[in-house]
Amino acid sequence: MDNRFDVIVVGAGNAGLVAAATAAKNGLNTLLLEKHNLPGGCATSFCRGRFEFEPSLHELASVGTKEHPDSVYKIFDGLGAKVDWRYEHNMFRAIVKGKDGYDVTLKSGVETFCDSMEQAVPGCRASVRALFDLVQKCNEALAYITKMKGKPNGLTMMLKHGDFMRTASHSAEDVMNALGMPEKARDIICTYWGYLGVPTDELNALHFLNMLNCYVVDGAAMPYKRSHELSLSLADVILGSGGQIWYNSEVTKFLYDAQGAVCGVVANGRELYAKEVISNVIPHNVFNMSDADKIPQTDLKLANAREFGISVATVYLGMDCTMEELGIDDYTVFVMSDANPRRQYENRDKDGIYIVNCLNKVIPDSSPKGTCTLFFTIPIFGSDLPDDLTPEGYKKYKNEIARKYIADYEKLMGLSILPHIEEISVATPVTFARYLGTPEGTIYGYKLSGWDNLLARISCEKDEYTIPGLSFCGGHATRGDGYSSAYVTGDAVAKRVVKRMKEAN
Amino acid sequence: MPKPNLRSLRKMDFLKVVPTRKQKISEAAAKPLPPLRSYKANEIAAALHPQCQHLKVEEIVGRTADMKSYILTPDAESGTEKLAYFSAGQYLSITLTIGDSVLTRPYSLSSSPKEALEGRYMLTVKRTEGGIASHYILDQWHAGTKVLASAPLGEFTYEPLRDAKHIVGLAGGSGITPFRSLAKAIADGDEDADLTLLYGCRCESDAAFQEEFLQIAASCDKFRLVSVLSDEPAEGCEKGFITADLIKKYAPAGEEYSVFICGPQAMYDFVDKELASLGLRRKFIRHELFGEYHNPSKDAAYPGAAAEEFELTVRMCGEETKMRCKIDETLLVAMERNGIPAPSRCRSGSCGWCHSRLISGNVYIPASVDERRMADLDYGYVHPCCTFPLGDVVLDVPPAKP
Repeated sequence: MDNRFDVIVVGAGNAGLVAAATAAKNGLNTLLLEKHNLPGGCATSFCRGRFEFEPSLHELASVGTKEHPDSVYKIFDGLGAKVDWRYEHNMFRAIVKGKDGYDVTLKSGVETFCDSMEQAVPGCRASVRALFDLVQKCNEALAYITKMKGKPNGLTMMLKHGDFMRTASHSAEDVMNALGMPEKARDIICTYWGYLGVPTDELNALHFLNMLNCYVVDGAAMPYKRSHELSLSLADVILGSGGQIWYNSEVTKFLYDAQGAVCGVVANGRELYAKEVISNVIPHNVFNMSDADKIPQTDLKLANAREFGISVATVYLGMDCTMEELGIDDYTVFVMSDANPRRQYENRDKDGIYIVNCLNKVIPDSSPKGTCTLFFTIPIFGSDLPDDLTPEGYKKYKNEIARKYIADYEKLMGLSILPHIEEISVATPVTFARYLGTPEGTIYGYKLSGWDNLLARISCEKDEYTIPGLSFCGGHATRGDGYSSAYVTGDAVAKRVVKRMKEAN
Repeated sequence: MPKPNLRSLRKMDFLKVVPTRKQKISEAAAKPLPPLRSYKANEIAAALHPQCQHLKVEEIVGRTADMKSYILTPDAESGTEKLAYFSAGQYLSITLTIGDSVLTRPYSLSSSPKEALEGRYMLTVKRTEGGIASHYILDQWHAGTKVLASAPLGEFTYEPLRDAKHIVGLAGGSGITPFRSLAKAIADGDEDADLTLLYGCRCESDAAFQEEFLQIAASCDKFRLVSVLSDEPAEGCEKGFITADLIKKYAPAGEEYSVFICGPQAMYDFVDKELASLGLRRKFIRHELFGEYHNPSKDAAYPGAAAEEFELTVRMCGEETKMRCKIDETLLVAMERNGIPAPSRCRSGSCGWCHSRLISGNVYIPASVDERRMADLDYGYVHPCCTFPLGDVVLDVPPAKP
């Protein structure tokens, strides 16, 4: 049988699916290899009893609508992947516990967002509004840089795009402070750091503002039938375009030719060859499946220099009562012990920040009649796992996490959750290590902090990961983490491969 | 309030972004990257969820006339050094090669989690009429036989945040096996719950683990055994079936309790009707896997098939195989009969491990075991372990992992 393909994509995570769909749709003979028996990586679903749970997605940014499509909508639409999008127009409710705390609900839409901020922190409106003007300016600068094919004129940049240069080289907090934003307003907006896993005093402002803008302008979107719907719709494009997907087919080795180019992989003990290999698998793992002498020094040093991104502990609850009966009326609630993102981050494994979602608020029939689901998320690193954690102590460890956060939320909101739990499942970095196979169970690839921020990654893209025939896409790639970033890198990388292959023919 | 002034930030810092990154990279070591197992999260994931476990039969213990226990230990020679830990109530999916067939069977672990740490699992197998796997195991396995098993699987476990502290276990026939594990886990202090076990058998000689259960009960006041014999009266045993009245008699008074049920299909049918009259909340009733679905054509919803068997075409990693599939056998069983290594675990429609894509063909999936994800229905994915052919079928199936 044929073991030669134009393109092999390794890993059917969000980026791998889009990459394979793009390649197949462009007529390339494409094979997508996935070690698990389902597509999507984190973008999947799981069933317990009568509930089908969303395992990872809180809200998808950059979707938009048919009338105002944003990047994710355009990617799915362009591929012909159908999704039944549902929208949430409240951004989030942020509750800081304690006597100096606050309880604020923010709404999407630039002006309504600014209004809800002004209501929470009188006098902050101008500085909040200035953030969105800044995003505009940055987008103009990025459009110029793109127009100049990444080689902008230095003088033009200095004269016309100074604010972009300032924003792109400073932290989100630096920029908000410079805009004269009151501390409380800054803390409220910075609640979103959890979605990128890096506190806002070291998170690149350009990156943070771009995410904020996407959520504020478009609101957030969710697929009706959990993330499994997203992944199957992309898989359908691949199969419908003549591509193949092999599940339960873990790649165990990357093959190189005499010139040092990647020419294929080994999966299920079989050698499979391709003109181009796209890896949705994190470079760390790819290098560990490659002959050491084939890895460029820069790439190996880069891998050694990087820190892994954050993971999460999550608690999924199927409740035998409705959200109204429980007394819940929000889709997303962030709960914090301290208003300051840095301190939330430092205390993450004790008493930092957690998120509670109730999908029924956005999709009322996402669980059977008379029930609802709750989804707790606590951002922690794989390296935060207790040193003395053992396999036999793991169930207890998981239940302690669940008990602690459920009790905290019950107390805070005056709810009674525990007696109504019909199904429970708890995940930790161990779970993500199991399913994703990433080091430390990171769900976000590499930490997007300091020197390894979005702008630095994009600016140095041409000098890194230079092995011919091999490209990377996914949360560990240039755009960083999140569903939308993964879709965007999958799209961009595959289009480049398609272009190269067409030129070669 | 200060006037918004971005100018306090140095724009020339922009020019440092690239050099800073390059500097960082150049300073880093070019050493080989650590293997995945060196990270705590990955190490624990691998220990709890090995891709497979190579075991060998250490000892065989007769239980009843048609039931034996197999003590399994790690087969280091084949690559398994340590047994994966588990929760009482979980099962192993065993892969068997019988003649030209390759098939799996889920068997509850009847040993305690603590025993796994000591390097021992126990599976207890009862001969089932017309069964293939149970006959094969009972007749062929001997001390030294190599056994290929999955990691521990399944959700028939005590969950302290969900279940009542007091469990009323209802066991029938070989359904006793997970309760032996749970009783021992409670006695070992590994699960903090009370277990009142109603064990339904035909006669005393059919009841397994009697002595052990009595020993556990004698040393642990959190466990109590009530034998319920349908065919003969015996001292200290209840006579009859596990009825609502009997459950009420032994369930804790004035306290919430969870009912855990494991047994043959007929028992589920009977007990579920009895439980309905007790008015328990749904969350307090938990079933172990229902097991394989038989006789689909007897269902009221069965649409009927034009022939007794059809052609099943299986595509697996680009290879195509054709075979016959009878209307009363699942697509999975047809593949197994033909030696196709299709993935399967629970064989009850629920775990989703056999998830495959129906490329074409009409099939019948009994509603009671259709536990697919919602989007699966839109895109034609099925669980072959509970899918029956109604015509010629083409199926895209992933290979079973070793």
